Amino acid sequence: MEGLVKLSFYCFTAASVAMFAASLAYIFHAVGRVRVERQVLATSTGETVTSTHASFDRGSESAGRWATMLTAFAAVLSFFSVVARIGATKRGPYSNMYEFSLAFVFAILVMYLIFERKYATRQLGAIVLPIASGMAIYIWSLPNSLRESTELIPALQNNLMMTAHVSAAIFAYATFAVSFAAAVLYLVQDRKNLSWLPKKEMLDDIGYRAVTIGFPLLALVLILGSVWAHDAWGSYWSWDPKETAALVTWLIYGIYLHTRTLRGWRGSPSAIVLLIGFAAVIFTYYGNYFFGGLHAYGGV
Amino acid sequence: MDEQLAPAAKRAARERNAFDMVVDRVWRFFCSTRVAVAEIAWVALLVLIGTLRQSSVPHWIGDNIPGTKGIVIRWLDWDVFHSFIFMISLAVLSVGIFIGGMLNRMPGMWQTIRNPTIRTTRGFLNGVTPAATVAAGTTPDGVIEAITAALKKKRYRVFTEKVGDATHLYADKNSLGQLGTYPFHLAMIIILAGGIVTAQWGFRELQFIVPEGGRLDVGHGTGLSVELVQFVDTYAQTGVPEDYRSDIVILKDGEPVKSGSITVNHPLSYENATVYQSSFGQAVQVRVTDANGNVILEDALPMMYQSLLNPDAPAARIDLLPVNASLVIIGPDSNPFNQPELDTLNVRSGEMWVQVRSNDLPAGTMPPAAIVAQGHAVTLDGVTVEFIREKRFSLMQVAYNPGIPIFIFGGIMLVAGLAAVFYFPLRRIRGIIEPAPDGGATGLIAPLAKRDWSGQQDFEHLMEQLKAEPAFTIEPKIGKDAEANSATPETDVSNDEGTA
Repeated sequence: MEGLVKLSFYCFTAASVAMFAASLAYIFHAVGRVRVERQVLATSTGETVTSTHASFDRGSESAGRWATMLTAFAAVLSFFSVVARIGATKRGPYSNMYEFSLAFVFAILVMYLIFERKYATRQLGAIVLPIASGMAIYIWSLPNSLRESTELIPALQNNLMMTAHVSAAIFAYATFAVSFAAAVLYLVQDRKNLSWLPKKEMLDDIGYRAVTIGFPLLALVLILGSVWAHDAWGSYWSWDPKETAALVTWLIYGIYLHTRTLRGWRGSPSAIVLLIGFAAVIFTYYGNYFFGGLHAYGGV
Repeated sequence: MDEQLAPAAKRAARERNAFDMVVDRVWRFFCSTRVAVAEIAWVALLVLIGTLRQSSVPHWIGDNIPGTKGIVIRWLDWDVFHSFIFMISLAVLSVGIFIGGMLNRMPGMWQTIRNPTIRTTRGFLNGVTPAATVAAGTTPDGVIEAITAALKKKRYRVFTEKVGDATHLYADKNSLGQLGTYPFHLAMIIILAGGIVTAQWGFRELQFIVPEGGRLDVGHGTGLSVELVQFVDTYAQTGVPEDYRSDIVILKDGEPVKSGSITVNHPLSYENATVYQSSFGQAVQVRVTDANGNVILEDALPMMYQSLLNPDAPAARIDLLPVNASLVIIGPDSNPFNQPELDTLNVRSGEMWVQVRSNDLPAGTMPPAAIVAQGHAVTLDGVTVEFIREKRFSLMQVAYNPGIPIFIFGGIMLVAGLAAVFYFPLRRIRGIIEPAPDGGATGLIAPLAKRDWSGQQDFEHLMEQLKAEPAFTIEPKIGKDAEANSATPETDVSNDEGTA
């Protein structure tokens, strides 16, 4: 058991390194290259003048390919990290923020790779991979005691509901991270119109498609959580800070979908709603730090 | 006679118009997306205010932002989730969902499903990107037949209509998927209804505290009571509780009807009532006698409070009505390493600090108090308190949630509706096929995918697949197109994507 805990951590460590490298590679690929041309000109009086000209160029394709490979490698390692953790604890890896964040990193990488493959664009990785890397840094910052395999506290002793409820949550949040990345790139494109970044229409569509996955998943999170709360706490809705924050997040994405489909909102206004939505996701994710409540056991 | 009736008829017409106008305005109000978004945002804001109220945020604001103390005090006093404003907001949102989200969209959606508009215009097809040209050596009817067969293989419904020499074509896929919006919107009303049913006909006792060996009535006309036989808890080496359970007996009119163990995730039900395990704590078994030796209290008192001076010291309090006093008991510090300076009572393990507070005691007078060991008694102000033994109490909840089946039904509908809308998106194609000047047939087909990148990609993908058809040739339309699928003259009755 102890060996599996260590194996999980080593896999996560290796995945972290791969993610950091992938982040850099994606940024290098997405931002493009800066070409600086310097010319020395001679004037009629015999003096020399130096002329410097900077131009931006498409990012290196090989950097993009490396980034994808590193991300896939990180996803596989994260998967092994999660599986080893499951083997050590004999349950879903969701009993505290360490385990939850491990699974979240895996979900982000998987969802990102799916979107990269479906839309054949790598530039999103320049936003999504740094988010995953940030999550890895957060995991590293957690106390070592959380890495140890411990028994579930009584409130969480419902393996089926915990696995279903929290799995839905991490994949919902992961798809919202992808939609956030699409929204950021959209806003960049809207102002800069860079030829090497994906078309605005595609970015708008990625943001929407990600939400169409995340929104039903978050609905499932709320419903499964309510059903579980009914069994565990005697009430399916307690206005607990974390469940309420999840509801508000769901409502924000509901606003996004309604404005997009009924009022025809596209582009910048929609992208801004996606940014607000992801801010709500972060707030929900870390909400138990600020508010305590019935989900406080998920913290440190 | 007509002249006499005319003013009345005019008045009636005027009144009817006024009535119609009001109905129309109310209808439009509830159908407005802007209003719907404002309603959702308003409810979200109220929810946020209500949730933050339970946190330290209001206190932080009051302490750090000058001039906000008054607002913060009102904020802390306002029970948002049971307030009239919140209820009204939910009611308005529900009506909006029903009218705007469901009723108003029904005719257009129904027409798209049952009787879609087949005719289109060349202007539309010429102005759309992507679009595809179709050409064949056969007659237009032959081409239509081949396209229809090809599209049907891709699960499209195909409708055609002859207009002069030309044949207009309309094809769609997943037309029923858009109906998912009805279970989705209806589900939200059902979930709210579940909450109302529970609030109206259910009950919930949050602080159902029973000490070991004790019994407590459930009330609410159930005739039930719960007896705690024993409480068992186990701990990990870190001190974290691994498991705790209450062995209970449920009694109906005093007769045992069901017994079992409850843990946090495994409640026990009998008839409508369900008993849930919430928490636990220390209790103290005491016997209290008055100056004449009459027993006025013999019970286990749950120590569910904390000492005012030391938050780590559990405390119990109970009124002693026969002697017009109250009994306060404080136990040993449960965490001596945390703020040891607060542990001024110095109560050791196996001891209790006991105080009898007479209600007639003059203000400013310290009531008598003493530390008493287990199995011993102390007399204070004529009242003898015997500390018999330490016990445990179990904090349970007893609830009846008649709304839960409604809630679960609503939840399933909600997710199913969303899945139908999002994962079976409506795809539509229009086209015109007509005789070519040099014989054979020619035509244009294009998707109804205004600003829908995925819809356009699907169409292009479909065109790639149709290229393999031997009966006609199909090529992407190349030329000076209007902006991609924008500003089209198409006036279809429903939106392009289906919607949540």
